[in-house]
Formats: sequence, structure tokens, C-alpha cells
Amino acid sequence: MIKHNIKLALRSFMRHKSSFFINLIGLSTGLACALLILLWARDEMKMDKLFALDDRIFQVMEHQDYSDGILTTKSTPGPLSSALVEEIPEIEYAITIIDPGKYNLRVDKKSIRASGVYVGKDYFKIFDLPLINGNSDQILSADNNIAISESLAKSLFGTADQAIGQAIEFEGVDLYTINGIFEDLPDNFSQNFDFLLPYEPYYQENIAWLSNWGSNSPHTMVLLAQGANEDLVNEKIGDFIKKRVENSQVTLFLKKYSDLHLYGNYRNGKQAGGRIEYVRLFSLIAIFILFIACINFMNLSTARASRRAKEVGVKKTIGARQQSLIYQFLSESILLTLVSLIIALSLVQLTLPQFNLLTNKQIALDFSTDLVLIFLGISIITGLIAGSYPALYLSSINPINVLKGTMKSSLGELWVRKGLVVFQFTISFILIAAVLIVFKQIQYIQNQQIGYDKDQLVYFNRDGRLQNQIEAFFTQAKELEGVQNISSIAHNLVGQQNNTRSVEWEGKDPTLDLLFENVRVNYDLLETIGIDLKEGRAFSREYGTDSSAILLNETAVSIIGMTEPVGQRIKIFGEEREIIGVIKDFQFQSARQEIKPLFFQLVPHYSWLMMASLEKGKESVGLKNLETLYESFNPGFAFDYSFVDEQYAKQYVAEQRVGVLSRYFAGIAIIISCLGLFGLAIFTAERRKKEIGIRKVLGATIQNILTLLTKDFIGIVLFAILVGLPIAYILSKNWLNRFVFKIDLDIGYFGLAALLMLIIAILTIGSQALQAARMAPKEYLRNE
Amino acid sequence: MIHLKNIARYYKRGFQKSWVLKDISLDINEGEFVTIMGPSGAGKTTLLNIIGMLDQADGGEYTFMHEPVHRFNERRRNELHKHHIGFVFQAYHLIDDLTVYENIETPLLYRGIKGKDRKSMVAEVLDRFNIVAKKDLFPEQLSGGQQQLVGIARAIVGRPKLLLADEPTGNLHTQQGIEIMDLFKQLHADGMTIIQVTHSEENAKYGERIVRLLDGFVRQDESSAKEEKSVS
Repeated sequence: MIKHNIKLALRSFMRHKSSFFINLIGLSTGLACALLILLWARDEMKMDKLFALDDRIFQVMEHQDYSDGILTTKSTPGPLSSALVEEIPEIEYAITIIDPGKYNLRVDKKSIRASGVYVGKDYFKIFDLPLINGNSDQILSADNNIAISESLAKSLFGTADQAIGQAIEFEGVDLYTINGIFEDLPDNFSQNFDFLLPYEPYYQENIAWLSNWGSNSPHTMVLLAQGANEDLVNEKIGDFIKKRVENSQVTLFLKKYSDLHLYGNYRNGKQAGGRIEYVRLFSLIAIFILFIACINFMNLSTARASRRAKEVGVKKTIGARQQSLIYQFLSESILLTLVSLIIALSLVQLTLPQFNLLTNKQIALDFSTDLVLIFLGISIITGLIAGSYPALYLSSINPINVLKGTMKSSLGELWVRKGLVVFQFTISFILIAAVLIVFKQIQYIQNQQIGYDKDQLVYFNRDGRLQNQIEAFFTQAKELEGVQNISSIAHNLVGQQNNTRSVEWEGKDPTLDLLFENVRVNYDLLETIGIDLKEGRAFSREYGTDSSAILLNETAVSIIGMTEPVGQRIKIFGEEREIIGVIKDFQFQSARQEIKPLFFQLVPHYSWLMMASLEKGKESVGLKNLETLYESFNPGFAFDYSFVDEQYAKQYVAEQRVGVLSRYFAGIAIIISCLGLFGLAIFTAERRKKEIGIRKVLGATIQNILTLLTKDFIGIVLFAILVGLPIAYILSKNWLNRFVFKIDLDIGYFGLAALLMLIIAILTIGSQALQAARMAPKEYLRNE
Repeated sequence: MIHLKNIARYYKRGFQKSWVLKDISLDINEGEFVTIMGPSGAGKTTLLNIIGMLDQADGGEYTFMHEPVHRFNERRRNELHKHHIGFVFQAYHLIDDLTVYENIETPLLYRGIKGKDRKSMVAEVLDRFNIVAKKDLFPEQLSGGQQQLVGIARAIVGRPKLLLADEPTGNLHTQQGIEIMDLFKQLHADGMTIIQVTHSEENAKYGERIVRLLDGFVRQDESSAKEEKSVS
């Protein structure tokens, strides 16, 4: 029986080639989309779940309770890890991790800038990264130990085998001995570094701020003891910091390390999504696209039912029961999806490199058993869904009517078909509208005036001799062609970097507890990055007292509530400062946040980043000159720079990815929908042949016939737009709510989306309709 | 073999019932060759469909081989139907996508007959009807007479007890028609019960009993030699 069904299915494919190809193209692109999204979602789900002790690895996080809400952060105090191990028996190991930095490494004459991280000595006991060489118990046990990746070893020594025990010069001063070599980090690990250094000596060097329980910066990870209860530990560590710091508003809690990747966002102290939202969103889109392809199959199969009806009728008269006919039609649709799966897999293989580029992943199509089973499962379910309605519909045909030739399409059946097409175009419309709005919003935030000239700004580390001879560097750099101005700053002004709540002023509400962004700068910084002063003056070498001066932004002034701020005094870290000027608000975080209060203080000593503005049109000359100057100060150091605008744009990487991906998905959805529409148009033109012939004989023009054939479809598409409009509006409004700075949700975007879709739909059915309308009437009536 | 008692069938047209069969009582014995005749709209095909269990009566009793069909559900009717009844149509109604061989084989598939047995049963019929050479052709490659030959082959391959034929020669030339009717005669001679519907007096002569319908009643049953008057 199966053989019989497959044979019939294949012959039916051959006989109805146009529907077959429409279905094949639709289902295989739909499946390819779904498989790509599946691979991506699987990759996302596997992120950071690679360690043997996964369920015992936790990140210690903080809820900080301020007047404007709870801030949740991974930043913790420097002494936390050792105190946790000492006092909480359930914590087996705890390590501190300092944010990665780019450092200069040298072996003989070979200099490399690589990404390094200071970590607690028990790092490898928690994260069991595979080692090529070294003993995981003591890789970082001595102060001068370093662990490097296989590729770093290869680029420094040519081979990983002989690197162990060798010495590396670090930042031109310290010497480290290689005590371990680890395999290059796997793609599903979110930490990113080329080498690791021990945290303990770093702590001693920076004891001034790292030993301070009130200062939060490094990350802390713990390994719970076997069988330890997470809730119990949470209870024990909750007030850990409050016990040590007076007036502390910090509550500690554990977050499973491998959950952070997908569930990393917090809003006012509550877990609020994260990348899981995108996993869900794209999975939903995958399901919709597949369903759109299924609808094509349903519609085309039922539309040409009259051709299959005879087969059904005959079979019923020779003893077929409805059940076996359902079975037959389902095997036909499943066969079709299995063929589509093969094509889809080749499409996936073909597009994976591009897809990886778009999503910044290294996904490969592997044929492990579970994946093959999932692929087959998805195909079969798709086949069942696609085949369900046609199978029920076709198998319930009454043989007497068919064999008499009096079968008519029922009204209900027409409604189902129209409803399905409406569904397809509703989804397509929502996707098109979403694409337009995401695109506009990204364009808006990229081009938003953020309050300083980020476009020509370049920054690099103040390292080597620059640390002590910065003034000499400034003087020479300012003379260089292509360099407009230069200064230094503590960090790069993108995102929250350093902040404090110890800002006091006269008349401050004692319950007010707010974070002020603390930016430590050198002279000329305002001039270099082009921030405008609202009143007062900037830091200047002409005033000897500027180390006790301060600049506030407008938001800070309005929070403090001063009408004449310049010349007044406030206290920062308990020290009195004089406000010498007010700077206009500028965006130092992303468009997702309100502008927060901020102050600039002059601390040349802590300004670790060199910040230079290049002359427009002479950027490459300026850069080249800077590099030459840098190398004359720091021979043996690689000149490693970044542009502020690129750094700024990186904040929107996720949105941009969503933008690009949704463009592709929307394109595919509309193509598949139009394929279905095309199939229906062919069918309608054929079915109404006789009517068209008669109308033409009676004097109808080509235009009359065109209107007759297209108005139904256009009505359907218009109806779909009507249905999709509120959904698209609500969805885009929700998405835009992530941003404080956003475009107005103009009806024009939806109008444009609607227009685009109508044009595409008209083009799709127009050609068919025109062909039918042009044919001479005798062609239609001849058969009668 | 067949016992019909007060069979009635109507269709709803709007709010009105339109009676096709009003009161049909009929007994047909095994081995008979019965012809049902009557003008268009007399209910011939409807009666044939009810006997063939493709359609159900709205009233009356139908006993087939001592089984009360009117009390059966769809599943049991289907069982009876597929094991004992073969159908031949005026328009042949072969499945376009199947070859001659496969068309003949299909009813056996639905009876769940094993592959080996199917092969020999189909081969036997092909041989008997002299169409072995045509077995791999598709219906559209055959003449009308040949298609009807295949139609009959398909109807009898499962060795049914009852063969129902609805205007089997209606679409055929005279000569082809004669050949088909000769075939029916031969099948009858071999013991098959046959009921045919036809307009042709010529074809009716092949049978041994003529039932004439008019407006949903049996007007005349010639072998019983007495007229049954309408009771309305």
C-alpha cells in the first residue's frame, strides 16, 4: 500500500508540475529557514554549558537599590571571593575575574597585543578548559605564572610544544613564566581571552581600590560544593556586603553562570528576558514561515481538488475507506516535505557561511543522531500539518457527486482558503512593517546627535612611557599633520564605566540615593571630543586649582536643583569641589537609557586612555603619524587603537542583527506567500476560462477581465493588511519601548509596508490575469 | 440475495423534499442478470447506488446476503461492499495516474490481499480479457472499449458476488458495445449476479429480467410477469 501511495504521489507531482514546484520551493525555503533558526537557537542554548560542573558554577551578582530603581550588575568588590570561600562552607571555590584588557606581550623581538584577563588561581578548577600542557591544580599558583592559549603559543613561539616554562615580557616591564597552555576557547564559551594572569598579585598592586568593600568592579564566580543548596547560599550571602559597608544598598545573589547568556537582563531587580527573547522571537518566525509554506500546499491541493476528486470517487466505489484515503494524501504531503528537506539541507549548507557572518557564530551542519531526528521530526510534522486539511477535505468527497460530475466548491471551503491566504499576508505584512521600523530606528540611533563628535575620535592605551611622559607626547602629537587635538581620559565614554553615589550638596534629600557617572579626564578633553559648555569654563592649565574643580552635566545640575551652579560647591567622596562649569548633556550610554547625571574631574593620573581627534579627510595621515610617534615612545609595543564611533555602534549589535535577519525572513515570507498567490491565480484563471470567454464574446475589454480576476485577490490582501495593522502597531511599539530615544511610530511606515505588499501582490497575480484576459475567446470555448 | 423493502430516497431542495425513490420493493436472487430501465430521472442510478452501498436509503429495508445493510454503520457497509460488489461505469472512471495493471490491482489493495496473490489474480484477469499487452499503458492511451474492458476487469478481479453496471456501453460504439455485452453474458454464464442500468432495449435482452422504474416506483417487473401498480 505504501508503494502504491508513493507511486501515486510521484505521478501526481509530475502531472501537476506548477503546483509541485511552488510547493517544493515554498516548503524547502521554509524548511531551510526553520533549520537555520533551529541551529542558531540550539547554539544559543548550548552557550556556556560546556563545563563538567555546569550546575554548580554561579556568578555572584549585585542588586543595588537606588532612588530611581534597582541596578543589577555583575560588578563586585575585589576582596569578595576570598571572603566568600572563608565564610561560606557551601562555596568550594571562589575566584575574581578582572575585565579583559589588551596587553602587549613580547618574546625576544616578537611583540603581540593580546587579550588578557586576571583570574583567581582556582580558575581551572571551576572552568575545566582542556589543557595541552600544565597541571590544572597549580597553573596560576605563583605570582609570575601565565597561562596562554594554543594559538598565542604558536604565534609567539611557532609551536605550542616548547612554550611551557618559557618567559614572556608583559607590558614592557614584568616577566611571566608560562605554566600552562590551554586549547583555544570553544565557540560556545562567552568568555574571551588569549591568556590568563593570577589575580592575587594584581590585588596586592591595586590594593588601594580592590580592597575597598564599597567599590564594585571585578566579577566574582563561585563553585558550590556538591549538593549545596542555591537558595540557602543566597540567604547567607544576601547581606554579605551590608555587614561590611555602612549604608550599603547592595544585595548579593547567585546566578547560574550558564543561564546568564540567555537570561542576562534585569529590570528593577527582576529578571527580564535577555537573549532568550530573540531565541523565542526567531523560533516563532520560523514556525510562521513554515506554516506559510504549509498553507500554499493546503490551498493548491484543495483548489485543484476537482482533478483529484475522480480518483477519490473511484477508489471509494472500489472499497477504499476515508481512513485509507487520508493516509494516502498524508503520505503524499510527507513525501513532499522529505524531498524538500533534502533541498533545504543543501540550502542550509550553502547559506551557513553567510548566516554565520550575520549572526557572528561558527555553526556547522553536523549530522549527529539527535539533530537528524529533529530534522526528520520537523519535516514530518510540517508534512502532517500541510497535508491535514487537504487530506480531510479530499477524502470526504462524496463519490456519487464526483461520478455524476456535479461536484461544486462549497462556500465554506472557499472561506477556509481565503482565510489561509489572509493569514499568510497578515504575517508578511507584520514582518515588512517590522523590518521598516527596526531599520528606521537603527538609522535614527546611529545618526542621533549624541552631544560630541564621535566620528573622528580615536583612542588607545596609555601604556609604556606614555604613563610618565604624557605631557611630552601631547605636545608632539598636537604638532602632527592630521591630528586636531589630543587628551586623555579614564575610559571611552561608551556605556556606564565608573560611577559613585557619594555626591553630597547642601539641602540634599537624605533619602535620595543616585549614581553619578564619574569621568576622570585630562586637560583639553572637552576640546578634543567636542563637548559644548553651557556655562562656565573647562579645565585649564592656567588655573592651578583645577584639581579641586568639577564640571557637571545639565542632568546633574537639575537633580541637585541649582539655579546658579557655577562657583557653588558640592562634595564628592567627602571632598569639597567647586563647580567651574556646566556641560551640555551628551549620550554616554545607549539610546536605551535616559541621560544620567555625570561629572568630569581633572585627574590626569587616572586617565588611562589616550583620546585624539583626527582632522576630517586626513584621518589616515593622522593615524599613521600617531603610530610613528607612539612607537618612538614605546619601541616594541604594537599600536592598537579603536574608533569611538565603532565602539558606540557596537552597543546596537543585537538590534542590527535582528534588523538584518528580519529583513531576510520577511523577504522569504513574502516570496513564499506570493508563490501561493501565484498558484491560486493560475488556478482561478483556468477555472474561470469559460466565464472569461463568454464575457469576452459579450464585449468585455481586457481591463474588465483584469479587474474581474484581480479584485478578489486584492481584497484579500487589503483585508490581511487591516488585520495585521493593529498587531504590527502593538509589536513595534513594544519593541521601541526598549529605547528612551526613538522614532515616532508614524502611520506612514505602515502605509509604506502596505503599499509595498500590494505592489508585490499585484505583480504576482497581474501577469497571470493578463495572460488569461488576452487569450482569444474561442480558445476558452472550444472545449465545450 | 438482495431483498429491498419499501426503499425510499429523497433530496432536499431548499425546504422541499424531492423524492427520487418512493417505494421500491425488489428481490434479486443469486445468479440473476437483471436490467433496470426507465426514463431519465426515474431513479435508476440512485437505486443502483443504494444496492451498491455507495448511497443510503432514507427509508425501507435492505438485506444483502442475509445481512441487514440498513442497520449497518459505514465501516460494516464498507466491508460488505468491498468484498462482494464490483462497479462498472458509463464513463469507465479509471484512475488517470495509474496504469492498466495498477488500476486493476487497486481494489485488491483495499482488501488487504497479499502481494503475491494480487499478482496472480491480476495476471489471471489480464489474460482472461486478453489485455496482457496493455498492462503498462495509462488509461488515456486506450480506446473507449479497451478502457471499459479494464473497468470490468477491475470490477471483477476481486471475484465479487454482485456486479453493478451503470450504462456500461453508453459511451461506446455499437461494435464495442456488443463486445462488452457479450462479456457480461459470459460472466453471467459463469454464475455472476449482474444488475445493469441501461436505456438500450438491445442491451436489456442480454439479461433475463427487466425491472422498469417510473417516478420512483417499480412500474413493471417482467420476469415476475406481473405489474406492480403504484400505491400512491
